[in-house]
Amino acid sequence: MTTARQFEAMYAATWAALERLLDEAEGGAKHYDGAALATLYRRSCEHLALARARAYPIHLTQRLESLTERAHRQIYRPQGFALGQLRDFALVDFPQAVRAHRGYLLVAAALFLLPMLALAWASWRDPGFILHLLDARQVRQFDAMYGPGPGGIGRERPADTDWEMFGFYIMNNIGIGFQCFAAGIFAGVGSAFYLVFNGLFIGAVGGYLITRGHAENFLSFVATHSAFELTAIVLAGAAGLRLGHAVLAPGRLGRLAALQHGARDAVVVVYGAAALLVVAAAVEAFWSSARWVAPAVKYGVAAACWLLVIGYLAWQGRPEDARAG
Amino acid sequence: MALDTLYQAETPEGIALALRPAGLVARAQAWAIDFGIRLGLFFVISLVAGIAGGLGAAFLLIAYFLLEWFYPVVFELGRGGATPGKQALGLQVVMDSGLPVTVAASVVRNLLRAADFLPFLYAAGAMALLLRHDFKRLGDLAAGTLVVYRETVRLHGALPEAPPVAPARLLSGAEQAAIVAWAGRGTRLTPERFEELAQLARPVAGLPAGARGADLTRRLLGVAHWVLGHREAQR
Repeated sequence: MTTARQFEAMYAATWAALERLLDEAEGGAKHYDGAALATLYRRSCEHLALARARAYPIHLTQRLESLTERAHRQIYRPQGFALGQLRDFALVDFPQAVRAHRGYLLVAAALFLLPMLALAWASWRDPGFILHLLDARQVRQFDAMYGPGPGGIGRERPADTDWEMFGFYIMNNIGIGFQCFAAGIFAGVGSAFYLVFNGLFIGAVGGYLITRGHAENFLSFVATHSAFELTAIVLAGAAGLRLGHAVLAPGRLGRLAALQHGARDAVVVVYGAAALLVVAAAVEAFWSSARWVAPAVKYGVAAACWLLVIGYLAWQGRPEDARAG
Repeated sequence: MALDTLYQAETPEGIALALRPAGLVARAQAWAIDFGIRLGLFFVISLVAGIAGGLGAAFLLIAYFLLEWFYPVVFELGRGGATPGKQALGLQVVMDSGLPVTVAASVVRNLLRAADFLPFLYAAGAMALLLRHDFKRLGDLAAGTLVVYRETVRLHGALPEAPPVAPARLLSGAEQAAIVAWAGRGTRLTPERFEELAQLARPVAGLPAGARGADLTRRLLGVAHWVLGHREAQR
């Protein structure tokens, strides 16, 4: 049998070459010899297996181990994004992932819409009802925002304020969407909480504003961007419920495997929800707040947007054969 | 039961890599460094944005959003597979399989920081980390990732010099490995402990029972060299 010393002497040059190549690759060199790296990597795998089987001294095995690990990382490094992938995502992957989560979507929509409608109805019946949820100061703020006064939303304002609001909506709303998804890991309870909470809040405020006679100001402001924003929140919540379901009822997989599986699928929906929230932020900042647009026009655009979003999620990206059949 | 926290991952080539997951303290330190860097970046951006009015404010808010959610993703998908903080501590994010982290996994583990953060200061993440032998927080669990030390520690160095000696009997592979490993630790142990361990292998050295400890150590070191293939000064 080859002794450790002979083994080391025989292959020292190979390992040194691999080490040089790795230093180059890890240092960020654009043009290193990838084929040579792959060859040397396979040889170091071989040598490592031999060294282990023959119980060679640890300093030798460890050197091989660390070389192999480094090469392994270089060889299986994921390649960068391509534009084609992005197009596939928008045209196929995202709508398909949404449809694959149909059941969760229904539950999430129910968790969001039912409290919203219930509270909208309750505070429309009784304007005082909103005080159960908010304190009087916050209610006055909403009054001022959507009322006819000069501080109201959608007043004519300079363009850079629009930009500022755009930034704010990006930071705030997408963050809420992400939280809605992440909290799902606690058996789905977190996502359900965020959905119900947001539903209650939006419903109560909406019902209150309508009963106070600010219906036109309020509805013409929210109608358009809600097509993207409410859909995205429900989608993020549905993705979170998927995580929670995997934790609660893993089925035939191990709990951990089920969770990882669920997360891999659900994150596609979250990417899409984030994209929708970016659209919503832009619409909310630059279109919803524009007072020079007549409410009737806004309602028309809003209806078109709702149809667009629902149609996109329901029909975009079906496989060819399914469409033919 | 294994006492150490090594994590075995198998490569497509059938080689088992031993990964060493990083614990709570190292990861908290890495997080603190990253937090400092993010704070610094945000400060610089806010200085620039301050000049630009409303547009600057928009830029600042978007920058905050990106720093909060995507700062780690960008670095984890880079060559090092680690944020600057992790890099400073010699850590790296890899998949369970030892492969580099994928885009989806990196996004998942960083989005779930929101869950790990609950109810305050990453308490949920720290609990998960402390309860598991592979030190995964919730985000790591869902994404199937691990935070590991980039370099393996070396407990064994080169052997101290000694003239090679043939062992008194044939040695099995495991015995050879044990003797070489003992010799490799020569520089890390006190001479007394080193000799004490050598006593266990007395029959291999082929010395009479009354021989002095130092002689035994020297002879056993010789055996270790012989096992490695040194032959020139054979007696």
